[in-house]
Amino acid sequence: MPLSAFGLLLIMGLPLLWLIGAAVMAGFSGDNGLAASMLPVAFRETAVLMVSVGLITGIVGLVAAWLTTHFDFPLRRFFDWALILPLAVPTYLAAYCYTEFLDFTGPVQQAIRALTGASTIKEYWFPNIRSNGGAVLVMSLVLYPYVYTSCRAFFLMQSGAVTAASRVLGASGLRTFFAIVLPLSRPALIVGVTLAMMEVVNDLGAVQYFGVNSLTAVIYATWINRGNFGGAAQLAVMIVLVIGVLILAEQWARRNRIYLAHRDSRTPPPRERLRGGRAAIAFGFCLVLLGAGFGVPFFQLLDLSLRQASVADLAPTLGALTTTVGLATGGALITVAIGLYAAKKSNGGKTARNVIRLATLGYAMPGTVLALGLLQPLGLGDRWLNYFTRWAFDWMPGLVLSGSAIALLYVYAIRFLAVSHSTLDAAIKKRGQSMLDAGRVLGAKGIDLLVRVDLPTLAPALLSAATLVFVEIIKELPATLLLRPLGVETLSTQVYAKANAALFADAALPALAIVLAGLVPVILATHLSARRKV
Amino acid sequence: MKTFATALGLLALIAATPVCAQSGVVNVYSYREPGLIQPLLDLFSQETGIKTNVLFAGDGLIERVAAEGELSPADVIVTVDIGNLANAKELGVSQAIPAEALARVPAAYQDPDGQWVALSLRARVFYASKDRVTETALTYEDIAKPEWKGRLCTRSGQHVYNIGLIATRIAHWGVDKTRDWLTHVRDNLNGKPTGADRDQVKQILQGTCDLAIGNTYYMGLMLNNDAQPEQKEWAASARIIYPDADGDGTQVNVSGAIITKYAPNKDNADKLVEFLLSDEAQHIYASSNYEFPVVAGVEPSELVASWGELKADKTPLTEIAAHRKEASALVDELKFDDGPQN
Repeated sequence: MPLSAFGLLLIMGLPLLWLIGAAVMAGFSGDNGLAASMLPVAFRETAVLMVSVGLITGIVGLVAAWLTTHFDFPLRRFFDWALILPLAVPTYLAAYCYTEFLDFTGPVQQAIRALTGASTIKEYWFPNIRSNGGAVLVMSLVLYPYVYTSCRAFFLMQSGAVTAASRVLGASGLRTFFAIVLPLSRPALIVGVTLAMMEVVNDLGAVQYFGVNSLTAVIYATWINRGNFGGAAQLAVMIVLVIGVLILAEQWARRNRIYLAHRDSRTPPPRERLRGGRAAIAFGFCLVLLGAGFGVPFFQLLDLSLRQASVADLAPTLGALTTTVGLATGGALITVAIGLYAAKKSNGGKTARNVIRLATLGYAMPGTVLALGLLQPLGLGDRWLNYFTRWAFDWMPGLVLSGSAIALLYVYAIRFLAVSHSTLDAAIKKRGQSMLDAGRVLGAKGIDLLVRVDLPTLAPALLSAATLVFVEIIKELPATLLLRPLGVETLSTQVYAKANAALFADAALPALAIVLAGLVPVILATHLSARRKV
Repeated sequence: MKTFATALGLLALIAATPVCAQSGVVNVYSYREPGLIQPLLDLFSQETGIKTNVLFAGDGLIERVAAEGELSPADVIVTVDIGNLANAKELGVSQAIPAEALARVPAAYQDPDGQWVALSLRARVFYASKDRVTETALTYEDIAKPEWKGRLCTRSGQHVYNIGLIATRIAHWGVDKTRDWLTHVRDNLNGKPTGADRDQVKQILQGTCDLAIGNTYYMGLMLNNDAQPEQKEWAASARIIYPDADGDGTQVNVSGAIITKYAPNKDNADKLVEFLLSDEAQHIYASSNYEFPVVAGVEPSELVASWGELKADKTPLTEIAAHRKEASALVDELKFDDGPQN
């Protein structure tokens, strides 16, 4: 049986396998051009960044999900979906917006200087946003929705009976949270935190902006300055494997636990009405989180767009928007379909599960390195294909694989399989086997079983997986930049082109379009899932 | 599900139609921002009737051309930094540039085998605080002196611009002296290198840095930034010092062009490179991006001229390119990007 899982690994792991090949070919001689002295520094800074972002997103996302699902307070129904919104802000945009906001020339420090009469930063104290701490803050603010969405979905599907029992037995709300909610939600928490941390590892733009010495920066230095792609591949592969081992270790650590909540119970948790100070705290927490993760970047982009954009800018942005939405739609459908297949396989046995874990590691790769790992075999495939068609039909179709949307859709599937797989895997575990068994007993199999049992029972999870992947594709930059066909521009490549020329004011309109295009499916999906009462 | 599959198939097919060799087209892979080269390409199309298609990316385009092999649609690669140009030659994706085009450019700024040619020069200079720096002339050695402790700033040492600068020092001084110099420069930094060149100007404005290392054209772009006028104020806090003006000269890097080995529109590629080296195009390079023309006789823009005359370091670029790996290794060895250590 794991044969099909291995097949999936082969297809989804193509760039990873290619890079492993390049890494081995490069050899492990002494002078392999790795930035050896900086490696310990880079390992330390990346690890600190990962753990800090993991901790903050974990705490903030879990608490936010707990509040909106277990309690009632002013504007709760609004926060319930709005807290997902920062997901639509790419980290590179958040980094830029926050630096503009908190830097010396930003409104906050301008106000301080106006109040104190200071003229240089040496005359007053203000934390430096361009620091490791700044990177942790900004990345956490836009990455917590991974934890929020997975925990929220978990709480909503969880039986209210356990927490109710805890309260009936006299435990306080807080005690229930720490003794019951936290341990129970561990699987969902880990899914969200893992996604957030992988996002941290593959990021280059934001961390460079803040001056973090990340592993990705070392990979780039090795590749660009030493002309040593093999050495860069060695590093990239090593990092991905370390992450893979961490994931497996975590699974192993909780191998003997049984999560009662896996049982499908449709008793929603009872919502406790908060009043007075407690309601104010819950409300304030959600408001600050939303304002910081979404409000600050959104209104800054809006302001810049309104000040700078002209009618002439609209046409290229609209063109890019169409392309982007088309790619994101296609990519989301493919990625979710593969994710569903992978999730069904990984619930079929331990070996299959681990093999598929490996296949989803593309998410942790720096995008450009992943893109090159895919481009090289695709280019080779194209050449063979053309040799063959020339020999057989005296006709050459050109770069069918590497020079078309196929390369993009492929790389999206590889990169975001982790997102769709983890969402669907959780849902399949929760649904349990009984539904499928019932379907089989009633004579359904193959496509029929898929259409009549799988799709309806997993509809909410499919919807949220598709939404997440859609938003991710809209934001994706490095792989899109390098793999897009000649003449194709997406919103993120437009932003990059203009921001790279440091004409950020001109980039504000497509940047705003990225955020808005990401908003629509997020809002749609949460409303649909709310209606389904799941 | 079936409709989805059909739709997807269609999408893939539509998008899969590759841009093929056609008459009257030239395909450009560009490391340079479209906004920067588009005016030049538009003018080229206007004059020759040849349409241009541009694919812009920050990294990896040369590797892409290599992966695409003889099927690559790329005719011309336009890039910044000598590292990219040398890398293209090394990966074997280039072919010889027409002799007429090469003849317009000094020998130091082209490949000895004619595999690449510079299109513009970019000087890496010092931005000095108008308020806190009194010196009007500085050498590279000067910034290693103790009086600059805590007053220097620059972007990451591994950025290609700084690698070019350090590689030039190695070409002059050898590795050992450069290591010593770079160690002191590192210890004079005001902290960990962050941001890009124009962020260093911001640091001068906010008072945390007195002397920054950056490329000249950023100052031009900031001083004339009408979209974000606040940048004019940042730039007004600093002035430009051409380092080593009385010695070896100021280090220059280049933007340049390559004609790809399998260029499907080779004639048009030749025409484009020749056009980019024409007086007219060189003038645009100078006036719109404040770079230095590479063709003798074309003057830099008025603003750039007002900063004084550039005395460019004459070390051949190929020699600088040959020291890039050592430069990168030094930056790593000294943990330059971790900031001052003594």
